[in-house]
Amino acid sequence: MNSGYIDQLQESFHTDIVYRSEDIPLECTPRPREMEQTLHGVMKLNGLIIRSLEEIAGRGANAVTYRAGKKFGHETAKYFQKREDVEGALHELSDLLRGQYTFEVWKPADKENYIIEENGETFIYLVFHDCIVRQTLRRNGLEQGGPLCQTLFGYVVGAIEEITGRRAKLEIVHTGPNACLKKLVLK
Amino acid sequence: MEIHVDCDACVGCGLCVKDCPMDVYEIRDGVSTPVRPENCMGCLSCHEICPAQALEHRGVYPARRHYIDIRVCEMLRKVI
Ligand code: SF4
Ligand code: SF4
Repeated sequence: MNSGYIDQLQESFHTDIVYRSEDIPLECTPRPREMEQTLHGVMKLNGLIIRSLEEIAGRGANAVTYRAGKKFGHETAKYFQKREDVEGALHELSDLLRGQYTFEVWKPADKENYIIEENGETFIYLVFHDCIVRQTLRRNGLEQGGPLCQTLFGYVVGAIEEITGRRAKLEIVHTGPNACLKKLVLK
Repeated sequence: MEIHVDCDACVGCGLCVKDCPMDVYEIRDGVSTPVRPENCMGCLSCHEICPAQALEHRGVYPARRHYIDIRVCEMLRKVI
């Protein structure tokens, strides 16, 4: 995979900020003062819909939200340029998702390439930094990794499939308060 | 990523060791030690779980936080 674009992307996530555990956040970033009530209302509503869906549909809730996300991914990405290389598709995707989800292509220090082959699987690690799903879940005190996260999974898979014509799957490796690690498995 | 553990604050509970998906920490001499900081991807799960607030990450990208209730934070600021 050409590393020029990845280096540039990673550079945008590197800062000199020192983060201490005891820091109490004093402002949202960027400032949503005027939008705050609307935003909280939308997040609250989404959280309640997801909670109710889970209560009624149980595990089926994941299938519903995944499908909704996938449709949304296909729908949005169909206006984008078709390309076969995964790197190009990820580039398109990061443009597509900007403002809602931002991610970087990532690898552990001991791996040479971003496209990793392990146990008969080919995959790429993606670290999701900004994510409206995570914010909605935390606003509602809901666990990460449930049905609302499935919408993002569906979205990414739908968009990658639409752009590259290749089948893909997204798996959660870890969910955190500031970033989540996902595995994009290529088929 | 530079990770600093406040050795006076750390109680050696090992929660950060268990929670970190990238095996960044090990307990050495009773305190948490970042042995693989280069593998950190900045999820800050260790910050959330550490009961002693002993951790500091330098170079982390802070994700957008729209879910914070500013009024609650302002009240907290007055109290603390
Ligand atoms: S921020 Fe996440 S990856 Fe980094 S040391 Fe903490 S738990 Fe591990
Ligand atoms: S979670 Fe905090 S107190 Fe516990 S071992 Fe890790 S740094 Fe020390």
